[in-house]
Amino acid sequence: MATLKEKKTCSERMEDFRRFVWNPETKLFMGRTLINWVWISLYYLAFYVVMSGIFALSIYCLMRTVNPYEPDYQDHLKSPGVTLRPDVYGSRGLQIYYNISDNKTWDGLVTTLQTFLTAYTPAAQHLNINCTNDTYFFQDTFDGPNKTKLSCKFTSDMLQNCSGITDPTFGFPEGKPCFIIKMNRIINFLPGNGTAPRVNCTYVGDESSLLEVDYYPVNGTFNLHYFPYYGKKAQPSYSNPLVAVKFLNITRNVEHRILCKVIGAGIISDNVYDPYEGRTLLKNT
Amino acid sequence: KHSDVKATRSEYRQECQETHKLQTSCAKAAQVLARDGPNALTPPKATPEIVKFLKQMIGGFSILLWIGAVFSWISFGIQLAQGAESPFDNLYLGVVLALVVILTGIFAYYQEAKSTNIMASFSKMIPQQALVIRDGEKKELPADQLVVGDIVEIKGGDRIPADIRLIFAQGCKVDNSSLTGESEPQSRSCDFTHENPLETKNIAFYSTTCVEGTATGIVINTGDRTIIGRIASLTSGVGNEKTPIAIEIEHFVYLVAGVAISIGVLFFIISVSMRYKILDSIIFLIGIIVANVPEGLLATVTVSLSLTAKRMAKKNCLVKNLEAVETLGSTSVICSDKTGTLTQNRMTVAHLWFDNQIYSADTSEDQTTQPFDQSSPSWTALSKIVTLCNRAEFRPGQENLPIMKRVVVGDASETALLKFAEVILGDVMNIRAQNKKVAEIPFNSTNKFQLSIHKTDDPNDERFLLVMKGAPERILERCSTIMINGKEEPLDSEKAEAFQTAYMELGGMGERVLGFCHLYLPENEFPDTYSFDTDSMNFPTSNLCFVGLLSMIDPPRSTVPDAVSKCRSAGIKVIMVTGDHPITAKAIAKSVGIISATSETVEDIAKRLNIPVEQVNWREATAAVVNGMELKDMSSQQLDEILCNHSEIVFARTSPQQKLIIVEGCQRQVRGHHLLTKPTSFCVFQGAVVAVTGDGVNDSPALKKADIGIAMGIAGSDAAKNAADMVLLDDNFASIVTGVEEGRLIFDNLKKTIAYTLTKNIAELCPFLIYIIASIPLPIGTITILFIDLGTDIIPSVALAYEKAESDIMNRRPRNKRKDRLVNEQLAIYSYLQIGIMQSVGAFVTYFTVYAEQGFLPSTLLGVRVNWENNAINDFEDSYGQEWTKYQRTYLQWTGYTAFFVSITIQQVADLIIRKTRRNSIFQQGNKVIWVGIFSQIGIALILTYGLGHVTALNFTPLRFQYWFVAVPFAILIWVYDEVRKLFIRRYPGSK
Repeated sequence: MATLKEKKTCSERMEDFRRFVWNPETKLFMGRTLINWVWISLYYLAFYVVMSGIFALSIYCLMRTVNPYEPDYQDHLKSPGVTLRPDVYGSRGLQIYYNISDNKTWDGLVTTLQTFLTAYTPAAQHLNINCTNDTYFFQDTFDGPNKTKLSCKFTSDMLQNCSGITDPTFGFPEGKPCFIIKMNRIINFLPGNGTAPRVNCTYVGDESSLLEVDYYPVNGTFNLHYFPYYGKKAQPSYSNPLVAVKFLNITRNVEHRILCKVIGAGIISDNVYDPYEGRTLLKNT
Repeated sequence: KHSDVKATRSEYRQECQETHKLQTSCAKAAQVLARDGPNALTPPKATPEIVKFLKQMIGGFSILLWIGAVFSWISFGIQLAQGAESPFDNLYLGVVLALVVILTGIFAYYQEAKSTNIMASFSKMIPQQALVIRDGEKKELPADQLVVGDIVEIKGGDRIPADIRLIFAQGCKVDNSSLTGESEPQSRSCDFTHENPLETKNIAFYSTTCVEGTATGIVINTGDRTIIGRIASLTSGVGNEKTPIAIEIEHFVYLVAGVAISIGVLFFIISVSMRYKILDSIIFLIGIIVANVPEGLLATVTVSLSLTAKRMAKKNCLVKNLEAVETLGSTSVICSDKTGTLTQNRMTVAHLWFDNQIYSADTSEDQTTQPFDQSSPSWTALSKIVTLCNRAEFRPGQENLPIMKRVVVGDASETALLKFAEVILGDVMNIRAQNKKVAEIPFNSTNKFQLSIHKTDDPNDERFLLVMKGAPERILERCSTIMINGKEEPLDSEKAEAFQTAYMELGGMGERVLGFCHLYLPENEFPDTYSFDTDSMNFPTSNLCFVGLLSMIDPPRSTVPDAVSKCRSAGIKVIMVTGDHPITAKAIAKSVGIISATSETVEDIAKRLNIPVEQVNWREATAAVVNGMELKDMSSQQLDEILCNHSEIVFARTSPQQKLIIVEGCQRQVRGHHLLTKPTSFCVFQGAVVAVTGDGVNDSPALKKADIGIAMGIAGSDAAKNAADMVLLDDNFASIVTGVEEGRLIFDNLKKTIAYTLTKNIAELCPFLIYIIASIPLPIGTITILFIDLGTDIIPSVALAYEKAESDIMNRRPRNKRKDRLVNEQLAIYSYLQIGIMQSVGAFVTYFTVYAEQGFLPSTLLGVRVNWENNAINDFEDSYGQEWTKYQRTYLQWTGYTAFFVSITIQQVADLIIRKTRRNSIFQQGNKVIWVGIFSQIGIALILTYGLGHVTALNFTPLRFQYWFVAVPFAILIWVYDEVRKLFIRRYPGSK
């Protein structure tokens, strides 16, 4: 095969490069004349301006077509997720450990709960109305102020022993801790098919011992009048209903796995991929 | 003892008597075989398979991908050590990257191996056999089993199985062309005639052929120790450099790798300075590398090349080295052999002279009739001589074959005459049977004539007919009359003059001329019973009647002139290099157009102007015929000047070494870069890509030296085929032109493939950049990118290899190795900064549409990355106040991946359509395979989204159908934009 590569010394290469950057004979800067470069730059500038314009126009059109009250599709929100407060995550999901005698270990947990419940003080809930019906609270018209829909009040006192009002330590020092369970908001989602969904907590893997739980509100139900949710724009003051659970007979110094499910028609709690859809699992000692 | 070449004749006699003692026993042969190894040329040292395989594993982009894989594993290790959640993603990614490298490596290796195997099977097609006497028995043995001391028998048509010293020879002639390039058969005998083993008559060389006669000889050298073996081993000294396409691909890999690494490092720095964790930054880096590297491209290139190789194999060009497919396309000089490549490699009657007139005969390959005027009684007489005074015979059993294809026993001239007669007169053997031969003097070099005496087929004519043919001047000497229009007329000086003119004219055309004469012996002197004695010559051999001349030539193949003119219009210089006589070489060069009709050599000018050759300004001559003798005394500068200043060159009487010098001369670079930018003379071809054709072992160094060596499949020796990059199965020069066309086409099409593949890199890269800068949820995953690069894009890129030429492929000059790169700045910039950007915009619009319609408006998405990816947040709020768990978000993210993937695919369809042609509008050029590409692309995308949408590991989700159409306007935009560009290119060609 031929000698295809010309061997050049380093200085020759540098010279070549210098000549490429500015060739005095042909007045070429990097292989083109300056005016040529200007034209090219202008062309690219124009091109990118136009492309940005097209992009902006597309996004504008998109924003015009989406519904401001509810999303067009809820393909991935078939069933609400369930979360727990206090939320302390380890490498395997929620993990809560504390030492009864050492209040530093549970101070943080208590604070988390208190902070979380500040959104449920009567003052925070004053925009919402009191609801008494145990049925879905459908609103076809905008009855609230500023073209909004009304939301039902949920105050922390409904959580009774776990409200933090009667027991600001939420039972942690006694070894009967309170946890608050929240179900995620999904627009127009009607859980339970007419019967209120309720929380049920059990031990996992250790069926022999029975977990004694106090549920607040009674039976651990989410009242139906909190549903359906109409979205942030329609119900700006909406707050999720909560259920508090108080574990009464947790053996100390043993790791427990407790599964709290929301039971109700339309709530999926056995998706193997999603550990938080319709359920929440915690480890507790 | 056996290698004692100088043994005298008497010693031989003795030896011949002792032949039975010489016979090697089987046991001894086995011993020697174990010592010397088989009698075969050691093939050039092949790279070990494992090295080839590993080269595929680390070549090209593989290194980058390995780096990516290693980084993935490192980050997996770190995450595992930190006890983070789901560290296995990175492990899988690393495994997938490694798999991609290994699979593409295996694929490329397999493709290479396949094309090598074609070659291997080709050379093993006919295992050579040799007739050996061992243990007193004649045995057929494979030739590679021969050992020194074996006695072998050879007959006409055999290939000599080893270097042998003859101990018995009868009319033995060998064709040493594979060794020396001279195709004239040389006689062989038991006599030691010359000190030089190459010259002496009692040695026949390995791989040459025995043309006629029989011989017995002792094997004196086997395998690599033969003369041929020594030449062949010289060949391996000539280094193998990279093919032009390999250089181009390397350049391309550097370019893309450079872009990948610089963007990767740049964004690594940016992400670190934006306070991303180092680990995350490394993962970004992997993403950027994967997005930038066209994983499937090198495999595609290999497939495209092997498709072309297959196509060329169908057109009788067998490519040994896949990359050589393109080399032929960039060829600017072809040094072609004459015999067999440009010519038919068989003597054929080209002209006749009788009745004071020259007639032309048809010399095409498949002649069935001869058009010249056959009504003259002189022709009848001439045809009779041609038929009868001829010892050549057809091998029996070929009645159904066309005459030109039948195998003949006899030398080249006689074969030509036999076939000529058979075409015109029909059954020659029957005519000979009717004109019974009674006496014969075969041709020999002292007489320079051949004579035979026949009874006539006319029952009323009792006379004998004496016919004679031979060197025209010798024949004329023996004649006193000449036949004109069937009448014998006295041969006066005027008629002799006419003969001389005709003889000179035919000889001047490079043809071999034979004279024919006859004499009807008087009935009274030579009665029916007369006994002719050829030793005492008791019959007249003078005062004969001269009948005519026939001239023969090895005629050019009918397809060659067209092929040469095609080469010329394609800017390829065709140089003839032959061992033949300059006159013959020039005649053939003229008839095939290597020397065009209007151009003159120095000698022609001198003749025209009637001045001595020395006074002619040799720069005026466009053509040159250079004799090997002249070449010997030339300096390399002088050779350069010749190569520079003449556009039409014939080298005649050249030796194999000179062929190598000529090839080097053509390849020689004009030193210094600046000279090239201002070509002062028309030596632009220098520093050229040189193709060399050859068949003999002697050609193999030149074949190896050439950028692309082309060996002849039929006439070529194994050594030549080994040294060559390509084998012409039909030995036909015209096949080279097909190869050039295919080579140029594949270069153009690879350009298209690369442009097509590079474009989407930007659309794959932008998501990462924007993800890092704007902290949006990741628009497309690394695995998804691999599905584009190795899934949807593969078949369309290969489909581009089926694209037809854009009109002018054979009318432009060969590409300039320095300027016409496979990937140049314009192509890269156009792909990256224009079409790529358009694609990205289209894909991002789809991405934002999907997220917005599912609840996340674009404004919500900005800056959301940290919380979005936080496993602990399972009530992530969207623009509408809904709350999402981590898994629900991830699933949405995969939907985003799928949407991004789909819109890249849709826009790649547009990209495919625009890349089909570079200048022509899509409406001007069709290609059905492109449809296969488009359908496969969409089909694979459909299967991935809907078929595999539920396999979590692949990160695809079944996508709502309308999202397939979001990018369509952008696809149309791309197409329209490019059509406009092409319109401008057609309107204003030549502008940058």
